[in-house]
Formats: sequence, C-alpha cells, structure tokens
Amino acid sequence: MRLDRRQVLGGLAATPFLTGMPRSAFAQNASLNYWHHFTSTTEFKGLERVMAAFKQKNPGIAVTQENIPNPEYMSKMTAAVVANSKPDTCMVVAERASDLVAMGALVDLSDRIKKWSRYAEYPAQAWAGSTVGGKIYGIPAFTFVDWMYYRKDWFAEKGIAPPKTMAEFQEAALKVTDPSKNRFGFSLRGGAGGFKYVIDMIEAWGSPIVVDGKMAIDKKKATEAVAWYAELLTKHKVVPASAPNDSYRQIMEAFKTGQTAMVWHHTGSLTEIQAALKPEQFGTLPMPAGPGGRSARLTYLFNGIANPAKVDAAMNWISYWAEPEPAIAFLEETGYFPSSPKVASDERIQKNPLYAAAVETTTFGKLPPTFVGVAGWSETVVLPEFQKVLVGRQTAEQAVDAMMKGLEAALR
Amino acid sequence: MDATGGLAGKAVTGPSRRRRLPGLGDLSETRFWAYWLLVPSLVLILAVVLYPTLWGIGLSFREMRLNRLDLGTGFVGLKHYYAMADDPVFWLSLRNTVVWTVGAVVGELGLGLAAALLLNKDLPGFRAASVLLLLPWFLPNVVAGHMWALMLDPRLGVINDMLVKVGILSQYKAWFADPDLALAAALVVEIWHGFPFFALLLLAGLKAIPSDYYEAAAIDGAGPVKQFWYVTLPQLKAIIVASVVLRVISLVNSPDIILILTGGGPGRSTLVLSLHAFLKVNKEFNFGSGSAVAVVLFLLLMAFSYLYVRLSNVMRD
Repeated sequence: MRLDRRQVLGGLAATPFLTGMPRSAFAQNASLNYWHHFTSTTEFKGLERVMAAFKQKNPGIAVTQENIPNPEYMSKMTAAVVANSKPDTCMVVAERASDLVAMGALVDLSDRIKKWSRYAEYPAQAWAGSTVGGKIYGIPAFTFVDWMYYRKDWFAEKGIAPPKTMAEFQEAALKVTDPSKNRFGFSLRGGAGGFKYVIDMIEAWGSPIVVDGKMAIDKKKATEAVAWYAELLTKHKVVPASAPNDSYRQIMEAFKTGQTAMVWHHTGSLTEIQAALKPEQFGTLPMPAGPGGRSARLTYLFNGIANPAKVDAAMNWISYWAEPEPAIAFLEETGYFPSSPKVASDERIQKNPLYAAAVETTTFGKLPPTFVGVAGWSETVVLPEFQKVLVGRQTAEQAVDAMMKGLEAALR
Repeated sequence: MDATGGLAGKAVTGPSRRRRLPGLGDLSETRFWAYWLLVPSLVLILAVVLYPTLWGIGLSFREMRLNRLDLGTGFVGLKHYYAMADDPVFWLSLRNTVVWTVGAVVGELGLGLAAALLLNKDLPGFRAASVLLLLPWFLPNVVAGHMWALMLDPRLGVINDMLVKVGILSQYKAWFADPDLALAAALVVEIWHGFPFFALLLLAGLKAIPSDYYEAAAIDGAGPVKQFWYVTLPQLKAIIVASVVLRVISLVNSPDIILILTGGGPGRSTLVLSLHAFLKVNKEFNFGSGSAVAVVLFLLLMAFSYLYVRLSNVMRD
C-alpha cells in the first residue's frame, strides 16, 4: 500500500486519539511564565525539579521561568503593571503583598483557594501572609524561618552557653570578640536589607509598629532597642567596622570565613553555610528573646497569579508547589521549609538536629509587617536613620523620631 | 539616457505613478518639500522624546502613588515641589550631587587629558596602550561597580591589602562604611570608569591640531608649558566644553555605581538626586514625588548646560 504525505500527516494527527490518551492531557494546552527571585544554584536546582515534576503531571501546561534579581523585583513588577505586561504567575514575599495588591498586580483567588482540597491543611497565619483586605492572593510555597547561626567550636573554646536572650547574646559576643585574631562576635547587617533587624529589635523590645493602620511605635522602647543594637558597634565593638555597609553577602562571608561568631538570617542560607563549614563548627539557634519577648519572622513566600486570563492553568501550577512531592524535592535541594505543616512533619526535618531551632521558631514566629508602604518606609527611612546612629551622626532617639515621622507620612 | 536614469525618470514622472499620487510631483517642486521629508523623523522624536518628557513633567503635578490608588490621580499643583523644598533629604542629595558631579568631572577630565597627552606621543607600544586605556569605559557600570566593591572590600579587598603592605594603612579600612570617606571612595571608582571618555575625545582633538602651530610657537620661543597653554588648550576648548556637558548629564542622571557600592548610605551620605528619585519611585512607588525630583534635575541640567556653553563662549568661537 502506498501512502501519500497527506495521509501520513493525517494519521499522525489522529494517533493520540487512537491510543486513548486521557482527555485531560489536551484539555489545558497553555503556556505560563513564572517570575521569581531565586538566585543560587541550589534554588535553581530546586526550581528545575519542581518544574520537571509539574511537567510530568501536567503535560498540557508549559511553564517557563524568569529570574528577576530580588533587589529589582519590585521595580520590574511596578514597570510591568504600568506597561500592562505582567507575568502570568509570580513569586511574592509576604511583606510585598500589600503593595502589589494595591497596585493591582495580583488576581483575587479567594473563592478558588477556599474550595481547594488542601486549604484546611495550612494554619491561619500561613494564609495571612497572602491575604490583603480579607482576600487571598496566592498559595504559600515555602517558608523562611528566622534563626541564628553560631560557631559551636568557638563557643566551646570559651565555655559559653548558647544565648537565649539578647543580654546573653551581647555577653557571648563580647567574650568571643578578639580583634588581635580579627575575630568578632556578630555579623551586623547595616547595609542593604538591614532594616529588617532594626524593626525586629523594636518589636523584641516590646514596641508594636502599626496597629489598626496607625503608627504605634513606643518611642521609649524603640529608642532602647535601636541604642542597644547600634551599641554592638559603637560601644562594644563586637561587630566588624564595615557593618554600616554590610549586606547579605558581606555578613555571610564574614561568618563563613571565620571573622564572626554569630549571624542572624533564616533557614534559606543553611545550604550555603553547610557547604562552607564542617558540622562540628557551627550550630543553629532560635533568635534570642528581647525584653519584650521573642521576635522572629516566619516569612511565607507564596505564588500568585497576575494574569486573569490564565487563572485555570495558573492555579494548577501554583497549587502544585503545595504537594508533598515538589515540596520535599525543593527542601532537599535548598533546605527551604515547606509551608504546609503536614509536609513539614516529614521525618527528614523532624530528625535533623539543625532544624530543631526552626521547628521551635514555628511555634512563636510572627509574620513580617505587611501594611501598605512598608517597603518604602523600611528602605528609605528605617535603614538610613539607623545607619546614622551606627556611624555616630545622630542618637538613637533622633533616629526613632525620624522613623516615627516617616511612618506617619507613609501611612497618611 | 542610461538604463537607471530612464527607470528613475519613469518612476517619478510616468503617467501611471502620477495617477496614484496626484500632486506629489508638484509638491516636490515647492519649498516645503524638505519639511515634508522631515515629518516622519519629527513624529518619531515627538513620540519617543517629547511625549514621555511632557508626561513625566505632568506627573509631577499629580497624585500618583501606585500602592495608594485610593488617593486617586488628581491634579495637586505644586504639592510635591513644596514637600521637596521642605525635605532635608532633598537638599542633602542636591549637595551630594554637586560634590559627586564636580569631583568626577574634574578628576576624569584631568586624568583623561593627561592620558591623551601621553598617548599623543608616537612612542612604541602606545597604540596598544591606547586600546587598553579604554577598557574601563567598555565595562558596564554594574560590572565596574561590583568589581571595585570587591577590590575595596574590608575583608578580602586587594586595595586594602596593598595599602597595608606599603604602610599607608595600619589595618584594613571599610571605605564605604565611613560617611566621611564613602563618597570619595565612590568617586575613585567613577573617575577610573569615566576618564577614558575624556581621553578618547581629547586624543582625537590633539591629533587634529596642525603641527605648524607648535612649530610657530617654538620659533616664537614658547616652551612646552606655554605651547600647552596657548596652543593645545584653546584648540581643545570646543571638545572640552562638549564632553563636559555630556559627562555632567550622564553623571547626574546615572545613579547605578553609587547604588551598587553604597545604596546611598551610610546614613544617606552618598545619596544623590537621581538615586533619591529612583528610591521614591521604586521603593515608595510614589511616581508624582519622584517625577518632581526628576523635573528639578532636568531643569538644573538645562540651566547648567546653557550657562556653561554661554560662559565658555564656545559657540561664538
């Protein structure tokens, strides 16, 4: 029998129907792009594993990822909203949710998410991170749990117990500091991103930031907190002199290269520390408690939908991150905590002593502040005003006055 | 008549063409034809340059906070300008901008002129050296910024290491963490990055100066200093004026090196106006206020360029 070209092509086109492939494979032919701010090799490996597993489960949906560096993420999103070229789906850190919703970047998914089979598996706090004005804008993908790393070997040398309070923390930093060995007690992040810890300190000293949409900073407590934190450099000299300009890279390098004994960050940097130091050299601890209680953040990163025309396919993608298979795959590559408590109860987390501090923190950790304008206030007021205290250009009280004034302006 | 000329003649004056575009031939004969030919370019310039500029200026008179759409986008008059005048951060940024721009232009021009004078000598290997000299200019600001951030790093930086070894420093210095040094350290980076721009233009200018001028000056008894002062500098004047204007505009408008090295810190000691406007728009999402800062920058640059060109008398020359 001779077949012409048209017959061959027709036959090939009909093959899927003849082989009885499930209809669902053809029901949702869609392409989605996904904006994220993953940067490290481990993060990319984790993302690749999630995407590969998703492709296997959803062959009709093609996902392409696009990396936006974290510092430029909001600028790019802002430009995309203004130019009406938003991505289909995107990663959102909880503290950016209010600003993104306010500018109309995210689609309200409340009805769909409340009907979603895994909705009830998450605690209310997890949903609070993606909820703005009572509406839910995304599904938590993973969580950054604040904690601290410390040099177990140096502490043992000096006979210091791991600190549980800020007073013990300061004492430990003083004992470990030895300028002759270029060894300091603590990596203080006074450069880009350092505002986070200033706000955390203010809360750890018992002052709220915003209550019911109004500025609620307690000046006395906040001043004490800012003064205590800045004095680690200005008075006690237990941090490197470069602290006013040190951002993530500098504080981590200082810890990894044996210049500092303690550093505050979150679970997201565990793989980096593990690659640089031996297990007997470092340990993890919950954040020390201030006079007003413990202040550690649980930063839920959720995936949201920005393109209302592709909600059906996009829901498949963003909800897939909550499945045990991709969540564990992502954890294995990055060390990032699953946001679902059900997945977090996996024995690979529960039986790992390094994760004990994170597991403990999930019992008292709080969400980051999420009011509209928080990003601008944090970066253009809190950070520079705190830096001025660090470099001796103003007092803690003057800095807090400026922070309060700036917060009132941001909320106005 | 050759073949090409014949075809061209048909295309313009043939009866079928004339039927389709009646009057075009006649129009080409008028004195307005040149202006009609400029229309496509003019439309493009209006769309790409004038419209965004006017829109940006208009934005500075409106409320436009992307995260506070509840405030609306109405006309607010000079509100942003009054707020700016009352804002000490604006005045600090303006002062930093002047220091930054003047410091960078003086440093780059001085170094660029020295490099151009040196490269103008026809010595062996100088041709290759002139290419190497341009390398910093080829580097994108982001790359140059990160490279110098590492070189000046207080823990790993090679510059600190060298300065300690030769005895200038007793210990490593955190250049960008000291508000008295941060802007100066950033200026070093900017001058290194920008001086080839001047070197290149001034070298081209030096090559164009006729050697007769120098010979005549030498006959009149002028030494190298007098030759430089009375021959070289006047001959380079137009190039210096034009390159300074271009460089000032570029320096005032581009905050990227400062953004990478210090982010405007510590304590706003390196915050310049362009970075201030950038932060207003990209961190506070306040497009109205950010546009007002940008408009002030625009006006300052216009005023500078006009006065500088007028005072240097370069147009008259």
